[in-house]
Amino acid sequence: MTILERPRHVGPGVDRVDGPQKVTGAARYPNDFSHPDMAHAALVRATIAAGRVARLDTGAAESAPGVLAVLTHLNAPRLATGPSALLATPPPPLRDDRILYYGQYVAVVVADTPERASAAARRIEVGYEPAEPLLDIHDPRAERLPDPWGSDASWGDTRAALDDAHVVIEASYTTAENTNNPLGLFSTLAEWDGDTLTVHDSTQWPTRVRATLAQMFGVPEAGVRVLVLYVGGGFGAGLRVWPHVILTAMAARQTGRPVKLVMTRPEMFTGIGHRPATVQHIRIGATRDGRLTAIEHESRSTVAIEGDNIEPCATVSTAAYACPNVTAHDEQVRLNIPWTNSMRAPGEAQGNFVLESAIDELSHALGIDPLELRLRNYAEVHPRSGLPWSSKALRECYEVGAERFGWSRRVPEPGSMREGDWLVGYGMAGISYFWYQAPCQARATVRGDGTAYVRSAVTDIGTGTYTIMTQLAAELLGLEQDRVTFGLGDTSMPPGPQAGGSGLTAALGSAVHAACRNLVRAFLDAAAADPASPLAGCDLDDVAVTGGRVHRVGEPERGESYAGILAMRGLDELSADGDSTPRTPQEAGMAPAGPFGARFVEVRVDPELGRLSVARVVSAIDGGRILNEKLARSQIIGGTVGGIGMAMFEDTVSDPGTGRIANATLGDYLVPVNADIPDMDVSFVGGPDAFNPIGVKGVGEIGLVGMAAAIANAVFHATGKRIRSVPITIDRLLL
Amino acid sequence: MREFAYFRAADVGQAVATVAADPEASYLAGGTTQLDLMKDGVLEPDQLVDITRLPLRGVVREGDTLRVGALTTMEELAADPTVAGRLPFVREALLLGASVQLRNMATIGGNLLQRTRCRYFRDPTVPACNKRRPGTGCAAIAGAARMHAILGASEHCIALHASDLAVPLVALDAIVRVRGADGERSIPLTDFYLLPGDTPDRENVLVHGELITAVDVPLPAEGTRSGYLKVRDRASYEFALTSAGVALLLDGGVIVEARVALGGVGTVPWRAREAEDILRGAPPGPAAFRAAAEAALRDPFTVPGTAFKVELAKRTLERALRTVSGVTS
Repeated sequence: MTILERPRHVGPGVDRVDGPQKVTGAARYPNDFSHPDMAHAALVRATIAAGRVARLDTGAAESAPGVLAVLTHLNAPRLATGPSALLATPPPPLRDDRILYYGQYVAVVVADTPERASAAARRIEVGYEPAEPLLDIHDPRAERLPDPWGSDASWGDTRAALDDAHVVIEASYTTAENTNNPLGLFSTLAEWDGDTLTVHDSTQWPTRVRATLAQMFGVPEAGVRVLVLYVGGGFGAGLRVWPHVILTAMAARQTGRPVKLVMTRPEMFTGIGHRPATVQHIRIGATRDGRLTAIEHESRSTVAIEGDNIEPCATVSTAAYACPNVTAHDEQVRLNIPWTNSMRAPGEAQGNFVLESAIDELSHALGIDPLELRLRNYAEVHPRSGLPWSSKALRECYEVGAERFGWSRRVPEPGSMREGDWLVGYGMAGISYFWYQAPCQARATVRGDGTAYVRSAVTDIGTGTYTIMTQLAAELLGLEQDRVTFGLGDTSMPPGPQAGGSGLTAALGSAVHAACRNLVRAFLDAAAADPASPLAGCDLDDVAVTGGRVHRVGEPERGESYAGILAMRGLDELSADGDSTPRTPQEAGMAPAGPFGARFVEVRVDPELGRLSVARVVSAIDGGRILNEKLARSQIIGGTVGGIGMAMFEDTVSDPGTGRIANATLGDYLVPVNADIPDMDVSFVGGPDAFNPIGVKGVGEIGLVGMAAAIANAVFHATGKRIRSVPITIDRLLL
Repeated sequence: MREFAYFRAADVGQAVATVAADPEASYLAGGTTQLDLMKDGVLEPDQLVDITRLPLRGVVREGDTLRVGALTTMEELAADPTVAGRLPFVREALLLGASVQLRNMATIGGNLLQRTRCRYFRDPTVPACNKRRPGTGCAAIAGAARMHAILGASEHCIALHASDLAVPLVALDAIVRVRGADGERSIPLTDFYLLPGDTPDRENVLVHGELITAVDVPLPAEGTRSGYLKVRDRASYEFALTSAGVALLLDGGVIVEARVALGGVGTVPWRAREAEDILRGAPPGPAAFRAAAEAALRDPFTVPGTAFKVELAKRTLERALRTVSGVTS
């Protein structure tokens, strides 16, 4: 089956299959589910960042109207520890009196209405024995974790090359803490029946929620079912099983009632992770004609006490440019802060800001156009492994982006372009995004009426998984899209990985590919039982599928319909499983490539008042085979808005003394509004990737990356002022 | 949220009598500030007296005064033809505030009484807030202060009054008409707000039970030009870092009348009379504008997070004066 070479269903911008449900309100998100006998939980959070709970007075809460239970560390059941693998589950909540961060849960109140639960929660009095918290990324007392992910790399002799370089750029950069802030408030509804547990949960990883709940409560995993048909956004926040999920299940078990918890917006700032702050230092050496001779990139990011987080920032510099001497070192520093966690493009977002700003600094120091400088150091092979890329069209990204933007109109001298009171700046950045893929399983069924049902226990976090997998399955089974239903978000389905790391489309698409091939093979086997069948003796490579029929390649009349094969054999349906496990680069003989991209940005700066606005953004992206251009474009546009947020607005601010997040509302934590967002032009370049059978590369995160650097570079071009800290706010821009 | 009683008033007298008789009662109008604060546990009234059906809505011109009913919404006032023709900076301040959804709910009386955005005031888990719990201190001064006041502030409170609308209204010497248990009174808006001093919990001169019924806005002389400039972190739906409301009457190359007020910088909407004194009688130009800006920002009270606003506020006022006067050099 070579059907993807001449696709009918994948590629064009098919509307979302779940669009009508979403716009009519029929789509049921986790907090749309309820139970007639349901109780409601409210959380109480610590108001110190370090120390102990010395005194608890829950009497007023326990006697408040409608209250069913108050759980604290004094009466909560002791739970087992959850999985410690990739993106570990935080320790069981309410296990002891220690406070490790401001906002840690110290109690949960269960009542008959949400209002009564929250009112009672405010009546709990907690006395603390505070300790001095570690809150500053520079605090020398804080524990340092060098090379926490084994991603540090070094080749050549970077120090010597820097000593010998004609030109050296050296600078320190900072990036602020950001908070994911999916619009949908995370919620959990838990219902026990003996040791059987059913949970509706806002998650990006339902199989992890199932495994965690089973492990922590000591019940069989087979009895735990996790459902998440729709999620109101995640951006990484749904990649862990957070304490509120555990507390909801605990509250349900203690009260014997189904219990629902809907987080508040302030709780969403402390309870479901955030992007860590970073401090980064970079040195780049080059020859006068713009050949990179050395890159040394060091990064420090923050992590919670007892937390973990994968945030390789310096690693970005090991995959972007051809350079004979490179050293990349990441470290983490442990602080009394809420857990840090993946937020769309973890590590890449901050590391790319530094590398691509520094390359821009180098271009100005050398007097070489920033685009030309990048082309002179183009990495034809993977810089670290030396393996050929499974695909790379970054050069086309640069060419198409520059052409569509009009980069050639740029006047090189900073401050030389102006429109009225406003200074005009052009800036750009390149992106070489990392690759990630996890194992995945899927199952495909064709029924007697000729319709297909394909499913896997994954999530669609708004990216369009329902739609692109419907298209792909229609393609692979030779059915019209309205004959195919794709199911997800239910752990009773074959297990799939998290919607994260830009890796789900390749993993799930490959599993669906395998399941559909196996299903066609099953139909061939069924047909072959009849020697008179036109398909008798056919192998998979001998047949094609079109119009609900399996037939010989090039001979549409010599075949049978799915429905016919099933009817003839007296079958209701046929099903087949498929799974995908990525090869290693060594097995494949190539470096698996993530997406590549180039961003071109025009900004306006009002130098007197420090005001900055983005006038237009042009993006050219190599995402491998694009399964649905409309949805892929939406991913890039949405990511671009997030990138503008990181570059200009988003900053999770904590009180210096207490560690309390000082702007934990959407009125105080600024994200871009429509008026901040300009025209966004998106192009896709390149072709199918060679590493997976469907040729895709994930585009869920790359849209955010590069915006911070491109905007900062454009600000420098407009003003001559280099801003090395994001967000770039008015106070940093006042000239 | 604490449970509360709800009562819809049939007329103004009943509304005032009901609230005046119950120390824990509050009026409910647009609710755009009040309901947020109740959900957050900052305000816990035991009774809300809904005044939204009372006949206090609409704009009427009486000679050289515009009488604005207290329940007129922000959108309605912005759409009034007299406001558009004679009070451009009032219209601009209205339309640069909030969002259209909020402006369709929020009332003029409620806008003047809006509570500060200070997150230390708005988070009841913060123990130190002299405005919320008198005598407990001010957590904002040592905290993450950015959207805070630099004028009229004290070591007891740096909470900002964030209204845009109040800025041109104090510049115009608007009058607040009030009904209380003891009858009616009129209060100049410039005397309406109280500086925090050592009693930040007292924000205005109203006594419990008094209800704003209308705001009288004197119209400036024909030929007066005005404008409102708002500088903020994002392009829409955000409070001011700094703003300036300016009305100028020029004649024969001289400023004959000047009204200047600042937003984003004061614990109260900030009338800059010193700036007006410098401008009045001066030829419009950079020298007068800079001198006015220096005078307006004399003796600021800053903390590290707000220090940048001093220069930004000066430049904001200069830019507004340049734009309104049309004199750029």
